[in-house]
Amino acid sequence: MKKNVKWRIGLTLAVIALCIFLVYPPKEKIKLGLDLKGGTHLLMQVITDDAINVETDQQIARFEEVFKKNNITFTRATKEKPGQFYFEGTSADQEGKIRDLIDQYTRDWDYTFTGDRVNFKLKQTAEQYLREQAVLQTLETIRNRVDQFGVAEPVIQRQGSDRIVVELPGIDDPERVKNLIKVTAILEFKLVKAGPAPDEQTLLQEFGGKVPDDAEVVRGDPRRGLQGYYLVSKVASITGKDLRSVRRGTDEWNNPAVSFTLTPDGARRFEQVTGQNIGKQLAIILDGKLQSAPVINSRISDSGIIQGRFTPEEADDLVVILKAGALPAGIKYLEERTIGPSLGTDSIRQGLMSGLVAIFGVMVFMVFYYKLTGLNAVAALLLNTLLTFGALSYFKATLTLPGIAGIILSIGMAVDANILIFERIKEEMALGKNAGSAINTGFSRAFSAIFDSNLTTILSGIFLFQFGTGPIKGYAVTLICGLVANLFTAVFVSRLIFDLTVPTNAKKLSI
Amino acid sequence: MEIFKKTPNIDFLKYKWFALALTIAIILAGILNITVGHGLKMGVDFGEGTLIRVMFKEPVSVSNIRQLLSDVGLGDSVIQESGKSGREFQIRTVEARSTRQTSEELESHQILANKVISALQSKEDQQRLAQGLIDLNNIDSRSLTALLMEISPEQGEELASRIMTYRNEHSIIVDWSELKKEPVSLPDEVLNKLQSRTFLGQMTVLSKETVGPQAGKELRKKATQAVIWSLIAMLVYIAFRFKGMEFGAAAIFTLTQDVLICLSIYSFTNREINLPIIAAFLTIVGYSVNDTIVIFDRIRELKRTMRREPLEKIMNLSLNINLTRTIITSGTVFIAVLALFLFGGKVINDFAFLMLVGTIEGVYSTVFMACPVVLFWNQLFKKQKKVRK
Repeated sequence: MKKNVKWRIGLTLAVIALCIFLVYPPKEKIKLGLDLKGGTHLLMQVITDDAINVETDQQIARFEEVFKKNNITFTRATKEKPGQFYFEGTSADQEGKIRDLIDQYTRDWDYTFTGDRVNFKLKQTAEQYLREQAVLQTLETIRNRVDQFGVAEPVIQRQGSDRIVVELPGIDDPERVKNLIKVTAILEFKLVKAGPAPDEQTLLQEFGGKVPDDAEVVRGDPRRGLQGYYLVSKVASITGKDLRSVRRGTDEWNNPAVSFTLTPDGARRFEQVTGQNIGKQLAIILDGKLQSAPVINSRISDSGIIQGRFTPEEADDLVVILKAGALPAGIKYLEERTIGPSLGTDSIRQGLMSGLVAIFGVMVFMVFYYKLTGLNAVAALLLNTLLTFGALSYFKATLTLPGIAGIILSIGMAVDANILIFERIKEEMALGKNAGSAINTGFSRAFSAIFDSNLTTILSGIFLFQFGTGPIKGYAVTLICGLVANLFTAVFVSRLIFDLTVPTNAKKLSI
Repeated sequence: MEIFKKTPNIDFLKYKWFALALTIAIILAGILNITVGHGLKMGVDFGEGTLIRVMFKEPVSVSNIRQLLSDVGLGDSVIQESGKSGREFQIRTVEARSTRQTSEELESHQILANKVISALQSKEDQQRLAQGLIDLNNIDSRSLTALLMEISPEQGEELASRIMTYRNEHSIIVDWSELKKEPVSLPDEVLNKLQSRTFLGQMTVLSKETVGPQAGKELRKKATQAVIWSLIAMLVYIAFRFKGMEFGAAAIFTLTQDVLICLSIYSFTNREINLPIIAAFLTIVGYSVNDTIVIFDRIRELKRTMRREPLEKIMNLSLNINLTRTIITSGTVFIAVLALFLFGGKVINDFAFLMLVGTIEGVYSTVFMACPVVLFWNQLFKKQKKVRK
């Protein structure tokens, strides 16, 4: 029965060496979860309906133009809901012409004719594609923003269909980053037609109380010290897409501001607009809020500054979001967990402490109860812990606080296998067998029970892993790793130790 | 060493009526407590408010904190002391019903959380904040670095990291003199400048966790799925392992009882149900089922060799033979979990508590409940068979 001892020793040593290689140095090899190292965990939902909405508005505007150009009569276009709109007042004679035009311009929309209406409905596949793109672009934009902001080792991942998880280690005041991620960041430059006025009525007095067709009302951003209402042109002269570069600068009073340069195309349009409108005000609008409305003093071509009583941080953040680009859809935060670094440090210390107490307690018990044979279990236990950490490092799993609990629990459960075997050996020896054959029977009889015992707990672990999130996944991983490692240490290694230390014909055993 | 010099001979089945009564009593009390009593407390993981952990410079009492929160109309928050120093507390705000809006759900939770935090700050601290001073006990590392770079461009970064490391280890800076001493060793002129722009707030926020209602609902769903699927897996496993209906039924009964008893006992504590608690339940079930299986295996093994003996005697013998094993294996798990309970800290304490309860309950259900259920089953469904034989 003591055949193969050499390769069994070899295999055991190889596994130990591999684990040490995987685990050492632990500070670099074991990835800690946010609950241990501190930081902010954000779960957000991309409001993909926004993307459908934008697409619908664009199509309405587009077909209004196309129909007008091609002399198609209609009274008006109405949006029923995102992804669905209709044109009213069309005549039946022009149906064929309308069909041709729609087919020519889009393949993403289904259309039907009812009476004097053309109904448009976004195709399922197109809708899915738009939603998917919105999530992917949002993910990319958020990644850019976080990178620009400068966070070490951020995790930015998609979860499910429209969720994004952002984990920012070391950030213990998430407000600033949260705002940075959430702003849509649509930047527009529009000519001011009137304003500022204290309220909308005063503003619209000279226009007969109605907003002119080519204009819209915006409010000043209170954070920029602007309270009033402005009437600005509906069409933007240039937008954030025309920016070539952005950086932190100062205005003529040395206050923080953001300076920018434009793409050649943007510069051409900007030059035209500023050239034609000297003496007028140009509104700089971010996400629908007016930031500042400087007077155009001269023709400007490819560069300028955005001012607006910014604090240095605000100016920095504006640079970040303008560089990273606008979000294609809005974001809604669903979950926010911020763990301060001191709580994480505490948890590591306490986890380590309870782990050591648990290992030590179990080891003392095993040696006390099983004497020298108990040492065998102690060796298996230590190796089991090493293996668990090795597996964690190999699978690049994250160690969380519940994960530490999982390791401690598997320490308690791991000796279960040793106990099953030792008890069986005792029973066999009580029947008068000598030590060697008692060990043999002990191992072979106990194996099915050991396998069983680990299996039920591993089953629970698998489902926890499947449905759990973050820290609970960490628990499931360490528990499963610990119990699988247990099969190797308690059965294979422990047997090897017996074979090496107990002669085949030994009569007695310290157990 | 042995617990029992020779195989013990305890008549466990004698206590079956007592055990059954005890089980029913505990479960009934639990059900009453959950339905009409103070109920099960759902934690922040399932979308109920914000959990804030704070630490004070000086010890304060729970009633003291409740008073501060009552002043801003949040007196119904759940306040618990954690740690032994009397300086650490965890506070959970109660769901923000009145301000709930579908679009800004998470925000309404957070508005409440911020209200709690500012209520806990002392009047002096609030005045200082209003004057534009910065709270050194709550500043984040990024802003601290920026601040110290202004004060001392050459050393700023190094000093900021030393202050942060010190604060991380001690959670809160009580007195300026701490910063003069090792290991921070702040130079006097830097300290003076720092004192003119910052102050040491009387409280620091250790963590703040908010799960919005929508995410909470999803986590609830996921937790339920995890529980249902692993119970199904257990059932399949049990059905596969036991051909006899009575053993399978008994294993399922024991499993249900494990969950119910632990849940009942847990409901009487002031602890909340969070994700780790679900994990603990599943672990307890997995572990206890296994214990039961080992006993049943013995019974079936002995039934083959002791055909003439009554089932009750075989059961008692099986329990007695395995008693050492049952006690020792649960004992080692108990040692490990006890270590976690005593030294693992407040974040994992609820989990450790439930595991402690589960470990003890697992032994109880294996030894006292599993076998009687087989007997009851047989009496109910197998009487006629025996008569015919």
